[in-house]
Amino acid sequence: MGDSDFSYVPWIVFTPLLGFLFQALLGKFLIDRLGARGRWFCGFAAVLVVAFPFLLGVAAAFKLAGMAPAMRGTMVTVAPWIDLVGFRAPLEFYVDPLSITMVLVVTGVGSLIHLYATGYMAEDADYPRFFTYMNLFIVAMLILVLAGNLPLLFVGWEGVGLCSYLLIGFWYKDHANAKAANKAFIFNRVGDLGFVLGLFLLFCVLARSAGSVPDGRFLSFDLIRVQLVNAIGANPGYATAIALLLFVGACGKSAQFPLYSWLPDAMAGPTPVSALIHAATMVTAGVFMLNRMYPVFQASPVAGGVIAAIGAFTALFAALIAFGQMDIKKVLAFSTVSQLGFMFVACGAGAYDAGMFHVVTHAFFKALLFLGAGAVIHAMAHNQDLRNYGGLRKYLPITFLTVMAGFLAIAGFPYLAGFASKEEILGSAIGNGAVVVRISGFVALFTAFLTAVYMARLAGLTFFGAERWRELPEPHAHEDQALPALMEDEPDPNRFYYTAAELAEREAHAAHADHHELGPEHKPHEAPLSMSIPLIALAIPSLLAGFILGGERLQNWLYPAGVKPGLLGWDAPPWLPWVSGAAALLGIAYGLRTYMKGLPADQGWDMGKWNPLRRLSADQFHYDAELMAGMSVGGRTVGLALSKGFDPLFVDGTVNATGYTAGALGLMLRKLQSGYVRFYALTMLIGVLAIVGYLLYASKGGASL
Amino acid sequence: MNGVPMAAYLLLGLVLFTIGVVGVVIRRSPIVIFMCIELMLNAVNLTTLAFARYLPQFVAGRERGHTAVAGEMIVIFIMAVAAAEVAVGLGIIMAIFRLRDSTDIDQMNVLRG
Amino acid sequence: MNPNLFAFSVVAILSVLSALGVVFFKNAVRSALSLVATFALLSVLYLTLDAQLLAWTQLVVYAGAIMVLFLFVIMVLNLSKQPALIERRDPKLMLATLLGFGFAGIIGVQVVTPLLPPSEIVKDPVLAPNGFGQPQAIGMALFTDYGYPFEAISVLLLVGIVGSILLAKRRLR
Repeated sequence: MGDSDFSYVPWIVFTPLLGFLFQALLGKFLIDRLGARGRWFCGFAAVLVVAFPFLLGVAAAFKLAGMAPAMRGTMVTVAPWIDLVGFRAPLEFYVDPLSITMVLVVTGVGSLIHLYATGYMAEDADYPRFFTYMNLFIVAMLILVLAGNLPLLFVGWEGVGLCSYLLIGFWYKDHANAKAANKAFIFNRVGDLGFVLGLFLLFCVLARSAGSVPDGRFLSFDLIRVQLVNAIGANPGYATAIALLLFVGACGKSAQFPLYSWLPDAMAGPTPVSALIHAATMVTAGVFMLNRMYPVFQASPVAGGVIAAIGAFTALFAALIAFGQMDIKKVLAFSTVSQLGFMFVACGAGAYDAGMFHVVTHAFFKALLFLGAGAVIHAMAHNQDLRNYGGLRKYLPITFLTVMAGFLAIAGFPYLAGFASKEEILGSAIGNGAVVVRISGFVALFTAFLTAVYMARLAGLTFFGAERWRELPEPHAHEDQALPALMEDEPDPNRFYYTAAELAEREAHAAHADHHELGPEHKPHEAPLSMSIPLIALAIPSLLAGFILGGERLQNWLYPAGVKPGLLGWDAPPWLPWVSGAAALLGIAYGLRTYMKGLPADQGWDMGKWNPLRRLSADQFHYDAELMAGMSVGGRTVGLALSKGFDPLFVDGTVNATGYTAGALGLMLRKLQSGYVRFYALTMLIGVLAIVGYLLYASKGGASL
Repeated sequence: MNGVPMAAYLLLGLVLFTIGVVGVVIRRSPIVIFMCIELMLNAVNLTTLAFARYLPQFVAGRERGHTAVAGEMIVIFIMAVAAAEVAVGLGIIMAIFRLRDSTDIDQMNVLRG
Repeated sequence: MNPNLFAFSVVAILSVLSALGVVFFKNAVRSALSLVATFALLSVLYLTLDAQLLAWTQLVVYAGAIMVLFLFVIMVLNLSKQPALIERRDPKLMLATLLGFGFAGIIGVQVVTPLLPPSEIVKDPVLAPNGFGQPQAIGMALFTDYGYPFEAISVLLLVGIVGSILLAKRRLR
């Protein structure tokens, strides 16, 4: 606890909040009144309220860097929130290297993406609504990372889930988008159930020793570590349970194996949303949470093994699926899932800082890749299918260069950002003591190779080879744009969704006047400046972050030696840098060689010609389809059982039975009121006898009869 | 009286009371039932007087004779109440009989559920 | 057996017999007359208890007024001419008799028996307190210590009067 003044830190959260309110209340009004100037003003305001917290974060970072490592955790309390006798959770922000790092990532990458979005969404009619939600998301994410106690973290956690739903379903009138948004939210919710249960268990465990905490703030992060070490170190069973439950929450938020299906579908949202939420920030909240609660995970090797195993499996699974995807955004989505798997492998191995390192570098290059993809999509008349691209490097030079930088980074080209962070992850996993973690490390190494290959596939098919859209017959140009209309049997009494006829009409009168349909004569044009600048700005750290943060610099920043004991070091095998570098280079070479020539014959429009394995991976190995079918059938069954079985039988039955019993009882008792006086007298006699007998016998302690 | 234990009076009172109670349940004529009620009241009177005579209550500090008559006061009041009750009760019986022309209490069962 | 006890026993047995007569006579008039006899015998017993005022009050009020009223009603309604009313065998009767015995038994055993002659409790009455049973004493108490119940009883009697007048009225309109 330092005595430095961090009182400006709450403004990191409040500034975007003000921005949100401004956009929500005044945005539409301004645009209606001022037209294009209003639109510019809204965009400027939106970017400003995210850039300003970045500057505050930089200032805080410098101040933290100037403090001694042991003093780098300060709690800034804003207001009381939960204030009970034995438990307090005020509205407080915890300023330490971990949170400030995340603040810098979120606001830095976030402001660039906001800038990009002002160009990308420029013609959209719902411009102010978009930035309302985006600013709200920034608020929620900042609350999550700056939260000083677990309940507040959970508020941020839920907030980002909500904003994810709002933004995925931004173009909600298309039924598919609404369904994707629902899917994201519901999968998140399932994860949140696990998270909440873990939270409750943690509360119970810590509440027992809460007396040791002076002001009842036993869930606050500055005080939680000591308590955790004491309470959980003594009983590892609790640690495993809490760790696994919290990890379920992280699975939901960070799209790990059973709960990843929402992320590919979330690509239905606008590309800046995909870049910000589903690449750089929200999905990394799980890793962040693991870092915050690391003593719990540290105390349970079982949980560590589970986490590493699931992370590795997810990484491999998603990488295999990425080979079968033809939608540029879907490839990137599965790439995100795969890279998140890497981060969890690191956390499972105990190298939480390696996970955070990968969070930071991944934010850079994944956001870059998404924004680049957005530029490509923008240039290709909103067509997203890789089979329509080819040879775009001539037309989109800046995009080409920046995306290639990002590609090299993610593929792990030696000494670039991705290489450095993957190095640490693989080193910590392969050098770990537990067998499960070691196996996960090797799986991750193989997946790193695959990453290079499929990203090379994406880069090659997009920027190299023949310009395939020039040879396509008309129908294929719209292949990916066929927006499914409402299914015939779905009721829509409020006429909320577009019908098929309306969709066709909408396509015919496209809102984008300058974007004609993708035909053979289409000439792609480079992205406007508002979109190019962020690309360049993100390319630089993608290339250099490895040098800046590598070595042990980030580790020392986040987990200075001696301050947070309990973190194990690892012995990375000496051959690792060579092998992983070689794997990356091999993958890049192989992938580019195969795909720079253009679209292979067995990956074209006719899916019958595809390699059966590739066809399987295109369908996500049937996982998603089975899951959705199972859930809908299962949900229907459960719903029917409850509504037709349980509800009428038990709930209604209980109520009816009560009434019936009362009536029956009354009927029986009616017979006592016979109207016969002598019967009444007799009853009275019996009663008197009973009372007198009790009084004279029982109270005298027995009869002397 | 001297030589008669209080228990004798109590026993007599008990027997009279029991006869009255049994009579109320057994008889079907309302007049006789009423008479048995009077019998019960008298049994109670007897018992009370016996207690009053054998165990008079002396209020501390006021040992004049009239303060020992608490038991008799109860009896006076019971008698007064009995008189009033008989007057009204017989009036009721007469009114009912004018209406129904029957003396069977088992047929007076209109007040029922 | 001292003479007092003998006299008491005679009066007691007679009163029990007349009480039984009240219950078991089929003729209502006979029941009423048995009750009169019971009241008279009870009055005698009150005299043995030194409650003189009450003994005479018993005779005047109970035997003289209340029973007269009973007999009036019996005769007005011609109840002595009614057919006998205890004829059917009713389990209620058995039950009532049994319960009556039980009742008497319980109280007798628990309350009365401990006080019977072999025990020394309350064998003889104490010296009669000053003026016990005399009209002066009762009158004094009635108008001083028991003034409030006295007035309440007056109200009760008033109510009784009003009630019986109302009940006896013929509805002419």
